Amino acid sequence: MQISIRNITKQFDRFPALGGVSLEIGSGELVALLGPSGSGKTTLLRSIAGLEHPSSGQILFDGEDVSNLSVGERRIGFAFQSYALFRHMTVLNNVGFGLKVRPRKTRPSRAEIRERALELLDLVQLGGLENRFPSQLSGGQRQRVALARALAIEPRVLLLDEPFGALDAKVRKELRRWLRQLHDRLGLTTIFVTHDQEEALELADRVVVMNKGEIEQAGPPVEVYDDPATAFVSEFLGTVNTFQTTLSDGIAEVLGTDFPVADADIGEGPQRRHGPAIAYVRTHEIELLSRERAEGIPAIVRAVFPFGGSVRVELAVEGYDTPIQAEVPRAFFEAGEVRVNSGLFVRATNARVFPQYN
Amino acid sequence: MASAGSTNSRRVIPGFGISIGFTIVYLGLIVLIPLAGLVLKSAGLGWSELYRSATDLRTVNAIWLSVWTAFIAAVINVPFGVLVAWVMVRYRFPGRRILDAAVDLPFALPTAVAGIALTALYAPNGWVGAYLEEWGIKAAYTPLGIVIALTFIGLPFVVRTVQPLMEDIDKEVEEAAATLGAGRFQTVRRVILPAILPAVITGFALAFARAIGEYGSVVFIAGNIPYVSEIAPLLFIIRLEEYNYAGATTVATLMLMISFTLLISINWIQAMTRRRFGNG
Repeated sequence: MQISIRNITKQFDRFPALGGVSLEIGSGELVALLGPSGSGKTTLLRSIAGLEHPSSGQILFDGEDVSNLSVGERRIGFAFQSYALFRHMTVLNNVGFGLKVRPRKTRPSRAEIRERALELLDLVQLGGLENRFPSQLSGGQRQRVALARALAIEPRVLLLDEPFGALDAKVRKELRRWLRQLHDRLGLTTIFVTHDQEEALELADRVVVMNKGEIEQAGPPVEVYDDPATAFVSEFLGTVNTFQTTLSDGIAEVLGTDFPVADADIGEGPQRRHGPAIAYVRTHEIELLSRERAEGIPAIVRAVFPFGGSVRVELAVEGYDTPIQAEVPRAFFEAGEVRVNSGLFVRATNARVFPQYN
Repeated sequence: MASAGSTNSRRVIPGFGISIGFTIVYLGLIVLIPLAGLVLKSAGLGWSELYRSATDLRTVNAIWLSVWTAFIAAVINVPFGVLVAWVMVRYRFPGRRILDAAVDLPFALPTAVAGIALTALYAPNGWVGAYLEEWGIKAAYTPLGIVIALTFIGLPFVVRTVQPLMEDIDKEVEEAAATLGAGRFQTVRRVILPAILPAVITGFALAFARAIGEYGSVVFIAGNIPYVSEIAPLLFIIRLEEYNYAGATTVATLMLMISFTLLISINWIQAMTRRRFGNG
């Protein structure tokens, strides 16, 4: 199902939670709403579900305005962060709940409800656990029961609020992969909320980055990651070094190299070409050079973290208050160039420069 | 499982020995020894004497009256107690704190004061009693008056046991029911009520048990007519004042047995519901 969100605003006691959000979601798309806490991502998800009522704006499902429909009438599948399972019901009755509460005319028979619930439990790989109570399941299993319960009503869209938030790292990764497979199999339009960028980038077809109740950028993961549209997105995605710098005629100097200002047609008003600016350089965009090829600016190694395929290095550079974080290939480290307290030269290979407006 | 006394048993929380010891001594002094004394005394009467005073019509009437009025009062308190708890948990309104405190008044007020106040209200010339009189209903000095007094003292038991469980119900659970298409009524019936059922049973049991033994608030409103509105605790006092220790002991023992049986069976029902919940 296709979803159109048109200029949704939401006020909570004078504090704007959503300030005019518009978004088109295609049929069968898997979309991540990504942002820090308080960015409005959950409010947006709950507004789509009908659990929250926007102060203004419209929400359309396949072109039909559902703004005035209640939660129950919208036929959405919603998975809560806390799972919100009914603890006095068995897994089977939890899954069958949505069918059992249907009006008599459309309600399937007891046997049909049971059969359908068992089918769904097989789908979420929980066959055989139908007689357990939620308290007897692990966190990952509970989340899958919650999903099966949401799917039982044959929803038009699946909405997930921090689906893996309360799980440990390993289960989280497994469930993530599993959810992707499930989505590909069912082809159901799915929107999930997360504050974990890795989760959003790896799982979603499209990532919607939100901040302060507004959409900063929406696009495929690679686009959002490689080509951040705003200062906020640059800072929020990946591990970045932040540099205060100055623009002169649209050019800013970062670690001895000049970079043009990012072509932001999104910022407010015409692009400013002079004045204070902020530059973002990802850790892997910092190049370390040995003493013999003296380019860039001198730096001293403060700490080395040689864990994994690339080695993280913390450097002190004169004129910069905060240490600079760099990520270098392991081979470079193994060549013996990088040792604590050794002197090196650093250079930025890429930087995203944004003028500062305040 | 290692016993507490074995040398290699280490408990995370220290002081098991001293705390269980204190508990047993305390329970023994305060509860078990007086009750055992009671049973011993009645056993000393001899079977024929015991049987004779237990089947005495006045005794039977008094005990039956105490049990059924207490039961009705507890049954009345279940829906009203749940409603009061619901209102206080779910809604924020001016005066909520005052209402919250008022629920505990039956705990704090001397029961005799409550009894006299209720009598004044429900007597044929009282504010409420006068209206009831027009409808031909006599409240004071009848079993109905006893039920009213017992309802009054039992209310906080239901409210205070249900309230915490109700506060525990996650808002998201209700929202989940709504997203699955359940209406408000279905959510209450299928989700909220089953979740608080164990607390409701406990509250009912406490209110019931308390009401069976209630004395102070009842004696003023009941009128205490033998065979009609004379409750068992009062008959017990009357027998004592008559120096009829055998009669008094019999009443006391019968009440003890009834209360104990009721509490045990309610505990058993509780255990069953809890097992159904899967978090026993």
